Amino acid sequence: MKQPKKRRFQLSERQLGYAMVAPSIILIAVIIIWPIMLSAWNSLFDYRLNDPAKAERISSLSINLETYADNRYLVYDTMDEVRDAMPDAGGTLDDITTALDEQHETLLNTDEGLAGRYEEVNTMLENFQPVNDEELRLADVPEEWADGFANTLDEQTAAVQALRDGAPEEAVQPLTDLESQLSNTQGSILEPNFVGLKNYTTYLGDGRTWTAMLNTLLFTVVTVGVELAVGLAVALLINRVFIGRGLVRAAVLVPWAIPTAVAAMMWTFLFDGQSGIMAHYMAQFGLIDDPGALLSTGAGGMFSIMFADIWKTTPYMALLLLAGLQTIPRSLYEAAEVDGANKFQQFISITLPMIRSAILVAVLFRALDAFRVFDLIYVLTGGGPANSTESISVYAYKLLFEQQNFGAGSALSVIVFLSVALLSTIFIKLIGSDLFSGRLKQ
Amino acid sequence: MVKRAGVGFYIFLIIFVFLVMFPFIWVFLTSIKPQGEIFSSFQWFSSNMTLDNYASALETRPLLMYMLNSFVVATLTTIISIIVASFTAYAVTRLPIRFKGLILGLVLAASMFPQIAVLSPIFNFVTDAGLRNSYLGLVIPYITISLPLAIWILSTFFIKIPLALEESAKLDGATPFQTFRKIIFPLAAPGVFTTAILVFIAAWNEYLFALTINTDDRWRTIPVGISFYQSQYTVPWGDITAATVIVTIPIVILVLLFQRRIVAGLTSGSVKE
Repeated sequence: MKQPKKRRFQLSERQLGYAMVAPSIILIAVIIIWPIMLSAWNSLFDYRLNDPAKAERISSLSINLETYADNRYLVYDTMDEVRDAMPDAGGTLDDITTALDEQHETLLNTDEGLAGRYEEVNTMLENFQPVNDEELRLADVPEEWADGFANTLDEQTAAVQALRDGAPEEAVQPLTDLESQLSNTQGSILEPNFVGLKNYTTYLGDGRTWTAMLNTLLFTVVTVGVELAVGLAVALLINRVFIGRGLVRAAVLVPWAIPTAVAAMMWTFLFDGQSGIMAHYMAQFGLIDDPGALLSTGAGGMFSIMFADIWKTTPYMALLLLAGLQTIPRSLYEAAEVDGANKFQQFISITLPMIRSAILVAVLFRALDAFRVFDLIYVLTGGGPANSTESISVYAYKLLFEQQNFGAGSALSVIVFLSVALLSTIFIKLIGSDLFSGRLKQ
Repeated sequence: MVKRAGVGFYIFLIIFVFLVMFPFIWVFLTSIKPQGEIFSSFQWFSSNMTLDNYASALETRPLLMYMLNSFVVATLTTIISIIVASFTAYAVTRLPIRFKGLILGLVLAASMFPQIAVLSPIFNFVTDAGLRNSYLGLVIPYITISLPLAIWILSTFFIKIPLALEESAKLDGATPFQTFRKIIFPLAAPGVFTTAILVFIAAWNEYLFALTINTDDRWRTIPVGISFYQSQYTVPWGDITAATVIVTIPIVILVLLFQRRIVAGLTSGSVKE
């Protein structure tokens, strides 16, 4: 009697477990994994937002039904205007209409559902709705049709140009409009912009990518190294009882807690060539040639960025390591003392092994953070002077949103992603199961 | 290793704290100098202190609007991710499900990936959905950062609660969800609160998504807004330092109030207890 009841309870507990995990897994899949896959897919195209012919991914020769329908409507509308302004052009205009209609009919017959899709797009345009659905807007077209269509458009454009030569003044403007609308119609035919790995080969062969990569590596190694060394020293020194612990802890947390962009603005001011106190004193003590050198030279810029990062993060590192130090039982040191070990021996054979996993975890998270550095550099130097302080994320961002080159930018962001994946795999191998020990029962 | 602190120690401590706080001190002192003195002198104190920079900082850019935007976005992000994450953390730490290691591995991987790798698809998605320049347009991408963080920290708090409590709830006839809602969640409340603070700070500080998605000044958040104080031709240091002081104050208050919790949250993952 008891046995089956218990099993049912267990079962429903397990079902509840899956139900509770599901929302997170779905969210992670939809807003992290799927976008990463899209980035990888985008990186295989010559995909540029600022070029209408390349503003989306086109795997095969296609027509953009939205611009096609839009221009078709405009062409017919303008032809009516021309008719009003220049009655004797009627014959030529009829020819144009026949030629275009013939191509239109052929187009709608190339694929079964195309006529229906064209109607749908047309209705949406009449209601001033944008056609955002890629599935609806883009249709594959056969190459013969596209070639024939291009020829027809060229012929009709030539006919319009011929008409304009003898046209009365009031017909010149509509004829010019007509000409440009015909050539815009040509723009609704989209050549495939799938380029395979070309974005990768181009940008991996580009000096700027490697400079950015080296800057990122240098930044990661130097900042994490210094933060670890200084943070450990500070943690060892303050690992004792003293008055004002809370206050020190708060003081140390503030740089960590403020937005990186705000910290970067503060340091821009302190490093400024004219009013910056850091630049002023560094020049006075002969550390730099002149106060302006910090933000106007590559080496000065790199130093500034690293210094600001070390300032912001060392206290945080010290706190993490301090928490590690506080878990070491005092009895270990007492026993070592009895055995005659000196302070340095104690540090090497007790402290370091005991906080090994705390160090590795702290370094893992810091290194990954440092490797994807963006805000600090973007605000402090903007990657300059002359791209000499650019990190790989900053370069990817500039390609994506300043040059609107989504293909190349995606390729670089995939490279960042793969580097981070490699880095974390190495660390997780080193740390092993310790990473999960606080979360799973073995 | 508990040592008594000596005089030398306190001197070291004061120097350390001074170095850490120096940029704040200097920025604050600059913010109350009159315009002319900022560019000309490296004097610590000004003879004629003024609040002009503060008035100007609030006038030239909608600083309070930025703060409101940041507050709304960070709060929404925190609420959503804490609710979803607490379910997952509970299930992974306390319910008999399979693939726990796999799920946590996925969460860890999700917390490590670089944001730039999802930026352009998310930008396209938010644009197509008409969510550019809105609160929701930022909350969605912020979940990518806050959800893994929240699950990761919450699970360390959930696992510390003794399993015996669930056993007795079971015996008293509580359903598994009742056990979660009435027993475990309230017991983990301090940990949940700690996690909420950390998630809130992470969302408050986010820059990359905010810069890309909310480009309208009306919808900018604090980190982005403040970086726009410098224009191409002039750098109004008076305004910038005053604005920096204004936006740092809430953080200082938050840290002073909750420092113990913040440290507990930060170290929960890295230290075995």
